[in-house]
Amino acid sequence: MKTQLLPLIIVIFSFGLFSCNDQCKETRITRRLTPFTRSLQEIRSSVKAESKRELIHPGKIYTKGNYLFINEIKEGIHVVDNSDPSNPKFISFINIPGNGDIAVRNNILYADSYSDLVSLDIADPANAKEVGRVENVFQFGQFDGVGWSLMGLNSSTGIISIQDYTVDFVTETVTTNCEENVSPGLTWFDSGFLTSASFNSSGSAASAQPNGQAGSMARFALYDKYLYTVQQNRLHLFNISSPSQPVDFTTVNTNFSIETIFPYQNKLFLGTTTGMIIFDNSDPSAPRQMSVFQHGRACDPVVVQNDIAYVTLRTGTACQGTQNQLDLVDVSNPDVPKLIKTYQMENPHGLSIDFPTLYLCEGDKGLKVFDVTDKLAIDQHLLTHYKDIDAYDVISLGKTLMLIGKDGFYQYDVTDPRNIRQLSKIPVNKAVP
Amino acid sequence: MKIFISLIISLLVLHVAHAQDVVVKNKYINHTEFGGLFGRVKYSNGSSQNTVDSRTSLTLQTFNGIQLGRKLGAGITLGADWYKSALINPVAAGIRYDLSGRSNARFFVLADAGYGFTWLHQDSDGYKTKGGWMINPGIGLRIGSVNTSSFTLSLTYKRQEVSAEKPLLWNQIERDEERVYNRIAARIGISF
Repeated sequence: MKTQLLPLIIVIFSFGLFSCNDQCKETRITRRLTPFTRSLQEIRSSVKAESKRELIHPGKIYTKGNYLFINEIKEGIHVVDNSDPSNPKFISFINIPGNGDIAVRNNILYADSYSDLVSLDIADPANAKEVGRVENVFQFGQFDGVGWSLMGLNSSTGIISIQDYTVDFVTETVTTNCEENVSPGLTWFDSGFLTSASFNSSGSAASAQPNGQAGSMARFALYDKYLYTVQQNRLHLFNISSPSQPVDFTTVNTNFSIETIFPYQNKLFLGTTTGMIIFDNSDPSAPRQMSVFQHGRACDPVVVQNDIAYVTLRTGTACQGTQNQLDLVDVSNPDVPKLIKTYQMENPHGLSIDFPTLYLCEGDKGLKVFDVTDKLAIDQHLLTHYKDIDAYDVISLGKTLMLIGKDGFYQYDVTDPRNIRQLSKIPVNKAVP
Repeated sequence: MKIFISLIISLLVLHVAHAQDVVVKNKYINHTEFGGLFGRVKYSNGSSQNTVDSRTSLTLQTFNGIQLGRKLGAGITLGADWYKSALINPVAAGIRYDLSGRSNARFFVLADAGYGFTWLHQDSDGYKTKGGWMINPGIGLRIGSVNTSSFTLSLTYKRQEVSAEKPLLWNQIERDEERVYNRIAARIGISF
């Protein structure tokens, strides 16, 4: 019996060797971009107030008085009545194609619409009306890392349009060799919820102020009689001495790719992909570059208070950053910014400072609240860490904190920063993975 | 898993009831082997062309158990398999069952089933590898007398599941891999 088994074993062995194949299947979800073109004539005629909508893909937030304006990326602005923060009510939706940024002064709301800057009268927030427009001031831009461009400006047909892309996600399954080791040095990409999202918060709230508040990721800023807009590597100023009729004023070029802008005292702090630039804005019509605080490549929102600039750097973005950290920079002498200390973080995004409390968004790792009285030991004074929310950007309004993330918009009572109480949540109604 | 083990043990106990043995029951047995895992992989990676590579890995394992009867032994197998991008430590329940043969050379059947862990595994940056289920049935040849230590040669089929998260490439938001290693294992070892 035994010897007969031997050839059988050999047969089985050979058969096995022949058919033993490793099976490796890789499943991946890829973002697919499909180009489309929209005529500017059609875009311009679409700007109007409509009935309220659900939050699907929120971008930046802006608050003015009792109202909250939430950008729906590339679609428009949700107008929310926030007189009761525990029960915010959607009032209406302003349809603005290609919108990503908001700024409000008194009763005029400034919004970008692809290539144009639009001013809307929001004295009656439920019925916003377009009152002014500066045409063709932005030639290109990007939302979530996908660029759009203005086409046909100098063409003989005179037909101007915007080329943009729709984004959808495709799942595919392929067979792999089980041992593929792609070097992660290849470009990282975070499908990016809001690379241009912005909360612009420059201090404590007071509804009597003419300007509203945005977050640390803002690309629009209001100061004196100018609206400062950030576009790729330039600062584009609009004169708003006549509020409903902004006038294209001037452009300041820089050598950096700018992401965020934060006005502070008579200076402008610009976050760029390779550092923070400080502009002297004592003459608001002519900001002058004073100094640059360089850091490694990363996207970096900045907030400033008490002559200390808090800069976050993060990985996993279209900026291809390599560090996750919070930098504290001494800007008491704006010509020579000095690094105070670097703190390692998980994946810091937007932030807001209401001394001595710093609210730091850690993306899908949640929200962290720090006591920053001792600037050299911030990491030892973590007051709270909320892990189960997605935190992109925050606005601190003294007693309340507004937070936007992939899962929704949250408002908190922060009278006691150690015991933050959630007041309300507007969940995002997401249709995509 | 627990049910499986208790099932095996109860089966063994039943069998043991009619064994006439020369062998001491409940004696500690050990079976340690090393060898290679041989196979191939055929892949296309999304393209229309299929590429075939051959694969060889090193495997080591040790089986420690008790003799439950004249022919049957059961115990726990611990091993280490060095796949190219995963170092798996399988922990399995195993049985070794001798078939009759000559007194100095016998065939035996072996089977292990368990879970492969990634305890000793280190991932490249961006990867996160997790282990999975493993089965390893096969046949071997034991050379040596009963009651003494013997050399073994064994041939088994080994199937190991592994899953991995991979770093994202441009424009991807998720990238996961499910692997099933199907190999023929040829091992030599000793048993005592």
